[in-house]
Amino acid sequence: MKDSCSSISQLLERYFDRQATDEERSLVERHLPICQTCHERLTLLEELRKAIKAPVDEALKEETFPWVWEKIERGIRLGKKPSWQESVRSWLDLSPLLRKKVWIPAVATAIVLALVASPLLFKKTPSYSERSVVEYLESQDYNVMVYESEKAKVTVIWLFEELDPSTS
Amino acid sequence: MALRGTGPLHLMKKNIPLIILTLILILLPSIPFAQVQTRLRVIRASNVGAGFDPVLTDVHSQLGSLFNFTSYRLLRDESLSLSLNQPVSISAREGRITIEINLVKLQKSSPELIIRVVREEKEILKTQVRLSPGRTVLIGGPKLREGVIIYAISARF
Amino acid sequence: MNDREVELISRCQQGDQDALKEIFDQYHKKVYRIAYGVVRQREDALDVVQEVFIKLFRSIKNFKGKSAFYTYLYRLAMNTAIDHSRKKKKTTFLSLDEEGGFQPSDGYEKRPDHIAAQKELEEKVRWAIDQLPQDQKATLIYREIEELSYQEISGAMGCSIGTVMSRLHYGRKKLKDLLKDMVKGGGG
Repeated sequence: MKDSCSSISQLLERYFDRQATDEERSLVERHLPICQTCHERLTLLEELRKAIKAPVDEALKEETFPWVWEKIERGIRLGKKPSWQESVRSWLDLSPLLRKKVWIPAVATAIVLALVASPLLFKKTPSYSERSVVEYLESQDYNVMVYESEKAKVTVIWLFEELDPSTS
Repeated sequence: MALRGTGPLHLMKKNIPLIILTLILILLPSIPFAQVQTRLRVIRASNVGAGFDPVLTDVHSQLGSLFNFTSYRLLRDESLSLSLNQPVSISAREGRITIEINLVKLQKSSPELIIRVVREEKEILKTQVRLSPGRTVLIGGPKLREGVIIYAISARF
Repeated sequence: MNDREVELISRCQQGDQDALKEIFDQYHKKVYRIAYGVVRQREDALDVVQEVFIKLFRSIKNFKGKSAFYTYLYRLAMNTAIDHSRKKKKTTFLSLDEEGGFQPSDGYEKRPDHIAAQKELEEKVRWAIDQLPQDQKATLIYREIEELSYQEISGAMGCSIGTVMSRLHYGRKKLKDLLKDMVKGGGG
């Protein structure tokens, strides 16, 4: 019985993971009803799996993934840098204005708008928040603290070196 | 037969380049040039010795109120003209730590920078910060010889 | 890989974000499961999902089709989740303040003490998983959460099936020791 138990316990995990062959599976299924130890080992494996899996299933059931795709798009966009030639080219492109039917009224409108709008353009617009804002940060090997002081008019980003490397 | 070359339309046609130039001059002040003047100071702070580099007088109160170091020494003081998406890198004199600053967005009074700190070719910090007038961003902590390094970044508006 | 997947990957490699969106629609839940399995917190798991698909779009040019696409994606997801987990300071918190409050007619599952016990177990499991060596952690997550076969895990991790079995065995043994007070069942 003992020898059988020790050989079966080696198959137990494969059986539990549904990776056992047909022969291995029937060996285990014949053994389980008559061996309390192996039965308890199997129960423990099930409990462990439940403890690992159940919270994930629960989290996914309730998850709606709000704005995730939009943030991915934004992340990809932030990574893209237009060349300076493209920026200058698009800024200087006045060709639509040179079409006969367009440029005369367009120029006239632009002059009027400029004369009307220039006082507004020179007006001081309210600035953004006085505080500098840390939009995001990441650090592989350091713990990071962010501190903002209104009085000292300073934003501090401080990196703390990990004392011990991770043991995992 | 219509007369040619005498009406207001003709005058306008003739003076197009002048009109466009006038428009540009009127609008010029409001076009944001993609450049920001930034000051970067690289400071070594430590508890070895006592003293405050006189050049750091303007940040003395800030540093003193935030940290407990006894000594602050200025290693580099750079004025940077940052252009959009053109990063600038500065290494500490010892050369093992580099800071890279990249202007990624330019609002009227709040430029946004992506700042990376690299040590021995490994990135130890990446952050995106929006600066505002009159404020300093201090990034510090990595060890530098017997002290730590602090970067003080501010923008000039 | 089926033809549709090959086409999507090819379009993605050429910068087609619509193709990436289709891949996202197909795989984001699986990536979330892996991410949550590692980081065990919703916000962190969502951050990892975003990061994975951004990285995928940037790195997909390197995918040569020598392995199955999901293997490539799972490996990316696992590495990203583990990196994310390393960066963040781990906090353990236990909240007894549940929305809605407890009504006498609610079942046992909604009682604050049961919810607290469950949360405590979840936190302990998260802590215990964090103690595992990276390879054991990844193997367990692939097996217990994604239910990949040994063959699939070996493909995702680039190791033999024997190594997969060994990592599973020692990972489970270590978890059992770490969680022995909380998990029912005995036997060594």
